[in-house]
Amino acid sequence: MSAVTVTGPSRSPALVALERVQSLLLPALLIGEVIVFALLSSRFLSADNLVNVAVNAADIALIAAGLTVVVLMGGIDVSTGYAVGLISWFLATLMSSGTPGALTLIVALIGGALLGLLNGLLTARLSIPSIVATLGTSALFQTALFALWNRRDVFSGPVLPFLSGSERAAGVPLMLLVVLVVYAALHLVLVGTRVGRSVFAIGSNVEAARLAGIDVRRVRLLGSLVLGLLVGLAACTYLARVGVVQASSGGELSLLAIASVVVGGTSILGGEGSVLRTLGGVVFIALLENGIVLAGVPSLWNGLLVGCVILLAVGVNGAVVLLRRRSGVAE
Amino acid sequence: MTDRTGTVVSSGGAPPLLTASGITKRFGATRALSDVDLVVAAGERVAIMGENGAGKSTLMKVLAGVHSPDAGSITLDGAPFAPRSPDDANRAGVSIVYQEPSGFPHLSVLENLWMGRQPTRRGRLDRGAMRDEASALLDRLGLPARLLGRKMGDLSLADQQQVLIARAISMRAKLLILDEPTSILTATEADRLFALVDQLAGEGTGICYITHRFDELERVADRFVVLRDGRNAGETHEADREALLAMMGSSGEIEVDRAGHLVAETSTTEAPTGGHGGGAVMLEAHGLTAHGAFAGVDLQVRAGWISGLYGLVGAGRTELAMALFGEHRIDAGEVTYRGVPYRPRSSRDALARGIAYLPEDRRTQGLLPHMTVGENLAAASLAVLTRFGVLSRAREAALVKRWSDDLAIKAQGSGAPITSLSGGNQQKVLLARLVATEPTVLMLDEPTRGIDVATKSEIHRRVRELAAAGAAVLVISSEMAEMLTLADDVTVLHEGRVTARLSGEQITEQAILRAATGVAA
Repeated sequence: MSAVTVTGPSRSPALVALERVQSLLLPALLIGEVIVFALLSSRFLSADNLVNVAVNAADIALIAAGLTVVVLMGGIDVSTGYAVGLISWFLATLMSSGTPGALTLIVALIGGALLGLLNGLLTARLSIPSIVATLGTSALFQTALFALWNRRDVFSGPVLPFLSGSERAAGVPLMLLVVLVVYAALHLVLVGTRVGRSVFAIGSNVEAARLAGIDVRRVRLLGSLVLGLLVGLAACTYLARVGVVQASSGGELSLLAIASVVVGGTSILGGEGSVLRTLGGVVFIALLENGIVLAGVPSLWNGLLVGCVILLAVGVNGAVVLLRRRSGVAE
Repeated sequence: MTDRTGTVVSSGGAPPLLTASGITKRFGATRALSDVDLVVAAGERVAIMGENGAGKSTLMKVLAGVHSPDAGSITLDGAPFAPRSPDDANRAGVSIVYQEPSGFPHLSVLENLWMGRQPTRRGRLDRGAMRDEASALLDRLGLPARLLGRKMGDLSLADQQQVLIARAISMRAKLLILDEPTSILTATEADRLFALVDQLAGEGTGICYITHRFDELERVADRFVVLRDGRNAGETHEADREALLAMMGSSGEIEVDRAGHLVAETSTTEAPTGGHGGGAVMLEAHGLTAHGAFAGVDLQVRAGWISGLYGLVGAGRTELAMALFGEHRIDAGEVTYRGVPYRPRSSRDALARGIAYLPEDRRTQGLLPHMTVGENLAAASLAVLTRFGVLSRAREAALVKRWSDDLAIKAQGSGAPITSLSGGNQQKVLLARLVATEPTVLMLDEPTRGIDVATKSEIHRRVRELAAAGAAVLVISSEMAEMLTLADDVTVLHEGRVTARLSGEQITEQAILRAATGVAA
């Protein structure tokens, strides 16, 4: 390759500035959030509270990890929350009838895989836009949960000890280790394997990826399957956290998982991002949820803030894409 | 008119309609236009000439508000004119009609004519007014009013083009830019277009006309402005072929090929692989049909041989290549690969067998814009770089180095973003992506569209070397010069059917064009 200094289109100053804003958005939000909540509540930065935050965020973290893979390919999944709810109902029911924990974990993974594959088949096989397909399945899961619930809350404990918040190793919850292992594994797959490279290629330009011989449908299906498995695992940690399954259990998780991914800086249009960024997004969202409670702010504000942060992140992302297009730096 | 010092003087005493002076446009490091001047008088027909990459289209797009110039100024009717968008330019009276019709195929002609500026009455579309004005317009332009109710997509390309011209006229275009309008028209259709152009010029509309075809020059223009390498190269009122060719020639390397078409290449005269007929037939199609795209096509691609596939827009050439690559439906017919029946199923399957395809549109079908040069280059070779699913960075780096050296790709290392490269180098990366899979059959769809002349001849040279080394090459192009210089034989498609199969001395511009427009069977 010959060394040549300049070649293609130049980036306009506005684009350079905006790209900097984009890369600094999450760190700035995190620092701001920590300062504000630390000032509002003395307990916010205590070790106890932070461990608590980690335990409470495990389900969102697991979903967001899988969701990142789907979003990197330009897809989306809005059904994860009710998928967690639906799987949790089965888990709780099995456990209250005395099924051993290991068996329920397997049921959770199989259930998650099946729901994920359903979404995958609709989007990858039938080419239904993922937002529409998963809105549909979300309604389906919600209705199924409501019908199964049948006005009877199901109470239950943790599926397995290491998926509950209480089990610790040297003060660190085992659940947190599970989450970190999942992130590390996904990260290695995304950056170091053929499938990972294919994920980025599909997200960057699906037509070009297909014409370069990448099996787009299979990789997409695989992405949905991975998300499904993690949704199954998230159902276990969710159940351990809340202990009861009700008519609309899990529903709130969808938005929080999506928020974690986009605030982390993975492009909602695909092709750009990483699970490590998502982990940062999860930390932000988890601290936000926790800090608001500690600061004694009505939880109504929670939704408002999460909504604003999503719009901010997506807005900056959209503006970057627009400017790149305008200055001819392709996509 | 422009003298060589770059000062703009008025043309023939008439006040200029449009004056562009010192127009400069850069795309990254590529200077598409350097200090270009252009004057058009009302009612004047100006042909803009130059070889591909000379800057004709860029200049026209600057006038039409698609690109904004980095330097220079434009006046229209004496007032400063700096359109910020095509819409802006339209409103000011400068309209462009592209080579390939760009209307709304699912809407009626009437709706196409009024798109974006529909008259309303109390908030509702005023259909009566739309219809009345539109029929008056078509009437004036000598077009049948019954067109109005038909769907744009159902019209012939020629009719669509005329509708778009009518649309431009209805927006009170003072300057109408036509970008190679006859390249998709039959001789009769072209005559209709010329008559329309004459009528408009007679009514005072200025016309800028981009063309590659010498045979229509005298018919379409009063003045000929030549660009070369993004600069003014001279102009004349005489349709003198020799003089124009001399002005257009790039860096003195001008050659005129067997059909008298200019070609800016030093290697033009070395006929690629000689008339030995090529080696074994590697890929062969028999009666290949996909309804609505192509029908009954026979085609052979031979080892050590460059076959050309020519056709106008909509002739089905890309669909045909995509079908052989497993990415387009096949309704009937047979394909054999290395003498064995082969049913193309997917691009993945085709690549694995050794059949590679360079897509027509670099941006939408080729580039992975978020990824690096190296990742783009290696994208089709992931299987050989992987063991147990894990990519070998070392093997990837070696592959990228080998093929980017081979094609002399200019980039700041393989980790540079692909978007930081010039168009020509991007195209080289995409070619390297295919060559790296070491294919036996190489199908190249518009391999040099929109890239600079130097890179173009590099790519041509490399394609010849690949063929000489035994690859079976199929070059698909709508560029006549490319067919004439590169192809050992030429198959011509017209509306999905093969209308000519030419080789050796039969390969002439006239023969190809006649077949492509369906004149000769």
